[in-house]
Amino acid sequence: MKNKRIHRRTMLRSVGAATVGLPLLEEMLTSTASAANATPEIPVRAFNVFFGLGIPAPLQKEGFQGVLEPLQPLSKKLLIMREVDQVRCDEKGVNAHYDGATAAFTAEPPDGEAKSGGPSIDQVIRHANYPNGLPKGMVPTLVGGTFFRRSRVGRYVHSYNMDGTVAATIQEKPRELFERVFGGVALAGGDRSERLKRSVLDTVVEDYRHYTGANSPLGASSRARVADHLDRIREFEQRAFAMKHRQSSGPQIPPRSIIPHGGPADPGGQGIDITLEQLSSEWRLLSDVYALAVQMDRVRFGALTFLAAGERIRLTGDYMYNGKKLWEFDDAKQQNAGGDKGCSHEWWHKFNEKKKNEALRAHAHMKMQEVAYFLSALDSDECKEPNGRTILENSLITISTESGDGRHNDVKRELSGVFHCITGANGRFKTGQIMDVGAEGIDVYNTMLDAFGTKDRLGPKKRDAQQIDSIRA
Amino acid sequence: MVNERRIAMELRWCAFVAITCGAVVQVSASPASAADATRVSLGLSAFYTFEEGDGDVVKDRSGSGKSLDLKIEKPSAVTWKDSALVVRSATKIESVHSATKLAEQSRRSNALTIEAWIKPANTSQKGPARIVSMSSSSVQRNFTLGQEGDRYQFRLRATSTSDNGIPDTGSGNGKAETKLAHVVFTRGSDGRVRFYVDGKQTESRKVAGRLSNWDVGFPLILANERKAERPWLGEFHLVAIYSRALGGAEVSQNYSAGPKAGIDPHEAQRRALARAEQTFATKVAPLFARHCLECHDTGSKKGDLDLSRKVSAFAGGESGKVILPGNADESPLWQQIVSGDMPPQGPGLSASDQAVIKEWIDDGAVWSIEMIDPAVYASKPGASDHWVQRLTVSEYIETVRSAVGVDIAKEATRLLPPDLRADGFSNTAYNLSVDLKHVEAYSQLAEMIVQRMDVLEFAKRFSKSQSLNTNATARKFVAAAGERLLRGPLDDREVTNYSGILTAVASAGGDYEQGVGLMVEAMLQSPRFIYRIETQPDGGGNQRVTDFELASRMSYILWGGPPDEALLKAVRDGRLADKDRCQAEVERMLMDRRAVERSKQFAADWLNLDRLTNMQPNQEQFPEWTPELGQDMCAETLAFFEELVWKQGRPMSDLFDAQFTYATPQLAKHYGLKPQEGGLRRYDLSGEPVRGGLLTQGSVLTIGGDDASMVTRGLFVMRDLLRGVIGAPPPGVDTTPVPPKPGMTHRDVAEDRIQNKSCGGCHIKFEPLAFGLEQFDGLGAFHLKDEFGNQLRSEGQLVVPGEAKPQPYTTPSELMKLLSTSDRVRETLTWKVTQFAMGRPLGARDATEVQRIHQAATSADGRYADVITAVVMSDLVQKTRAQDEP
Repeated sequence: MKNKRIHRRTMLRSVGAATVGLPLLEEMLTSTASAANATPEIPVRAFNVFFGLGIPAPLQKEGFQGVLEPLQPLSKKLLIMREVDQVRCDEKGVNAHYDGATAAFTAEPPDGEAKSGGPSIDQVIRHANYPNGLPKGMVPTLVGGTFFRRSRVGRYVHSYNMDGTVAATIQEKPRELFERVFGGVALAGGDRSERLKRSVLDTVVEDYRHYTGANSPLGASSRARVADHLDRIREFEQRAFAMKHRQSSGPQIPPRSIIPHGGPADPGGQGIDITLEQLSSEWRLLSDVYALAVQMDRVRFGALTFLAAGERIRLTGDYMYNGKKLWEFDDAKQQNAGGDKGCSHEWWHKFNEKKKNEALRAHAHMKMQEVAYFLSALDSDECKEPNGRTILENSLITISTESGDGRHNDVKRELSGVFHCITGANGRFKTGQIMDVGAEGIDVYNTMLDAFGTKDRLGPKKRDAQQIDSIRA
Repeated sequence: MVNERRIAMELRWCAFVAITCGAVVQVSASPASAADATRVSLGLSAFYTFEEGDGDVVKDRSGSGKSLDLKIEKPSAVTWKDSALVVRSATKIESVHSATKLAEQSRRSNALTIEAWIKPANTSQKGPARIVSMSSSSVQRNFTLGQEGDRYQFRLRATSTSDNGIPDTGSGNGKAETKLAHVVFTRGSDGRVRFYVDGKQTESRKVAGRLSNWDVGFPLILANERKAERPWLGEFHLVAIYSRALGGAEVSQNYSAGPKAGIDPHEAQRRALARAEQTFATKVAPLFARHCLECHDTGSKKGDLDLSRKVSAFAGGESGKVILPGNADESPLWQQIVSGDMPPQGPGLSASDQAVIKEWIDDGAVWSIEMIDPAVYASKPGASDHWVQRLTVSEYIETVRSAVGVDIAKEATRLLPPDLRADGFSNTAYNLSVDLKHVEAYSQLAEMIVQRMDVLEFAKRFSKSQSLNTNATARKFVAAAGERLLRGPLDDREVTNYSGILTAVASAGGDYEQGVGLMVEAMLQSPRFIYRIETQPDGGGNQRVTDFELASRMSYILWGGPPDEALLKAVRDGRLADKDRCQAEVERMLMDRRAVERSKQFAADWLNLDRLTNMQPNQEQFPEWTPELGQDMCAETLAFFEELVWKQGRPMSDLFDAQFTYATPQLAKHYGLKPQEGGLRRYDLSGEPVRGGLLTQGSVLTIGGDDASMVTRGLFVMRDLLRGVIGAPPPGVDTTPVPPKPGMTHRDVAEDRIQNKSCGGCHIKFEPLAFGLEQFDGLGAFHLKDEFGNQLRSEGQLVVPGEAKPQPYTTPSELMKLLSTSDRVRETLTWKVTQFAMGRPLGARDATEVQRIHQAATSADGRYADVITAVVMSDLVQKTRAQDEP
């Protein structure tokens, strides 16, 4: 990949050189100092990492010999849970991509197109541990993602407030995620307002770009006029939204994305063409920035999405793992189809236990590699905390997806074997195991909340709850 | 140059084909029976006759735009025979580049015809086997003519059919046989499709919707599908593609012409002549205007040679004929130019200009315009090009009001920079540039507009659902609302782009109302809202604009705002494609109040009435002036214009001589009229010898400034009423106005200037035009003597550009009468209205069409409504010019 991982050390070095380069640097330095002072208190953190389309239950059974292979280096710090049942969250008439994705770590089906039926586990923990809010200067919840299917919010947002609304506006560009964490822009209306205003401007810019580009229907003089207009919009954008660095020697913000975002990233469920290089570069940059925000204690709660539930992309490119070429992605060609029928999603529809399912395996394996990339960023030596554990070990990181089968012909099969994975959360849960839990998601999640001592619970209250003690440390 | 040569070659080729045809037809058993039978040429976009005889290329012989030649993938699979190509085994004959011209033309016309003379190898090939296809794969096409066993089949992509063109249309069973057949499929802009086999209609049905979703990137392919999986075997004798639907009689004509008829030779001649005429108007005449007419126009006529008119130019001068068509070398005009003797002063003609003259004479010296009018060539190079038009401030206000029902006039006027005048109008496209302040204002205004809208009520017009889900109804909503806001259908790219806002809002936990609001906010800033975006064809000559583009042109010309629902419905029903129904729409729109307001915008802009708002005359000289008086003058002219043009429905030329006006009591007093109480009132001027007509109104008379400048007033009459052309004063000349004094009036000063050798040559052309206005002071009050007691005069001469004989007058009212009856003034009014309608200066390329507009308007009644109707119905509005047009 083209980008090199952004390290906290690099960041701090540039911060030092700039003295006070960014508006919030003082707090950032303070939190670094607190780590150095070996304060015994380890902050409570909870994040979700979501990957789209799931892993068919039979492939989960293969453990690290199969598509889970990329998680093996971190296996001692993970609890992989199989046979977690989400059938009770099924909604008739809506396929499992959406139900399953929303249910993961909320134990609720969606409530309409833009809400979950209840809070996500990270937010319940946040409310319990920080009832008066997070320490000053922190981003309360950070939600990011690299995804291309956006018809319903549950496909890609995985952090929900107590009332089921999204916990934070999702940041899909690494640069904007960076600005959200480290930037100093404050428009009236706050984060959401700014994000949406940018969305309006991005859409307008995209339209002007079309009329100045190679496919413009305009003649030369008209095109020049519209190009002038676009230049003025850029100037306007610069003035309205640019990060206000007080000193030019501050840390460099990530480069602009080159992959589609917003509307162009989801042409009506038809899918987009993308290379592995583009996809992975974008995701890793986003992961790096997110991890940096966690390392610098700028954020303790939130969610990160790698490809949406029911994602539709036509991926191309060689897939390498550990220096070896495992597969050549070329979904459309391999399926001899275009549009939505040429997307990787179709491999899930075509899954057949009796066949090799090579393409599906390659996609799932690649996703695990990218999830592992993010997890590893929180598990380096730099991430060691006073108790000797890394941030990865001390945090609750839930890894979720939407289904245990993608064929849409058996709801029970689809929603009863959904892949789940969690970290140890500073010794609260067992790790180093692949466990056939055989329980409903709601019971697993509420058992986890027990371990955090929260008062609130996920899912319907009128229900005989089961404790899943097997996951507790 | 290349184009002309190609046409000449085509002419030769056509002659050859006609002769060949004659020989072949007599022995052929084909339906062609007449040796001189000709094919229909109008609207022909691509044409293949398969007469190459060898090689792997099939040439496009349509002569329309960029050639769309075809390449045979496997030459070994085909055999050439006499004007036919036999496809013996599977291959593909694909265009060397995308068939963009075909797609663009049919997207515009919403119509097409595919015609083929073919002989299927068998009646068992299926798939359908692709005979003629414009597609990228077996499931993505604009159209395909195919064979399915014993019938022909046509798949057509439209907004009502799939990307695969399904449901298809069949020719009827048993129509495909293993004999030479004439197969035609037509689709009219109203959606009616027809199949003809051997001249007989075999099917007629409706395929609704538009062709706006055609992909311009698809190639044209014969005998197979793009990925070579649907081969067709048989013989191709002729394939023709038209951008319009041929009528039944035209299909019969082509059937009768047979498989070996070429393009109608008369059509080629017509085209060649039209191009030669255009070449004269756009290349030769400007050279005459710039280099010759100063000495050789009707007025000057040195050496008794008048080169401004066809008859006099070919008649020659004192030494006889100067132009010998077809022989430049023997033509004295060319000899004088190439020797450098002419023009006698200033730089001679450049080598390229000389070449233009030589080639023009050698090619027959086609002279296409009655008179070479320097005014036609006065605008700067490029000024009359097709520039995308930004909405003016008033258009923006009306567009917002019409689209979303919000009155944003106050804020838009405050926030948007004013539109600056250029070439006499403030809606001149090339001058409608954009600054950061515009972008900021559009952003702020969009936010304000949405805040004032009832967003949910607005959304309800387009969708009952309130879903932000792009898998559900959101995309349909975006498409429907976008079509209204952006004045035409959105393509997939646009729907996707704007849907992104809805998903962004959903992802941020926002609701439907917020999503729609922000989507509208974005659309209000989009290029298709801020600009009148049109597709400019890349080659292919003048082409009809799309129906939606035409609707926009009509509404902005007639109303200064966007199309209303009725006009959009006319578009969707395909009614604008029909000239009579289009004219009926114009008539309907002229009944609307917006048409009145738009015409008043024209008057205000033409006469630059906005300057009255900021007038600050010298208080010592004019102690009674108040800013309100300026407003009253403006109101007078607009009320006068409205009554004459709309209530009385009189010819526009009557504006100069109408015996009534409107005035406030203050203005009436200023004019010396007996004031009536109660604001702006009508005054009958039939008993007032010195007033009556625009030029006696304060709004126009103040154009000369406090000192009632003869120069400024004269230039106004010359340029804005008579379309005269005059250069800037030479460098270094002292242009400080000479004030009057006892014994010397303004006119005396002007006459001195005219007598001056270095000034008179030019000033004589315009200062006398203002002599009749000397008795009106700088603010339009009437006096017989000036402040020094000098007697003021009013007699003078009207010198019309291009006319040799001056017309004398003695009083202001005589001057007004001369102006109101002058053909030149009437013509100027047509030019001015047309320029305002088009939003750009008119140039040489427009001259012929403007002349047609003028004739049409004059033969009606010369009223504003006649002129504007003629403008809308003209090719200037109904068609658009390709970028490569001369």
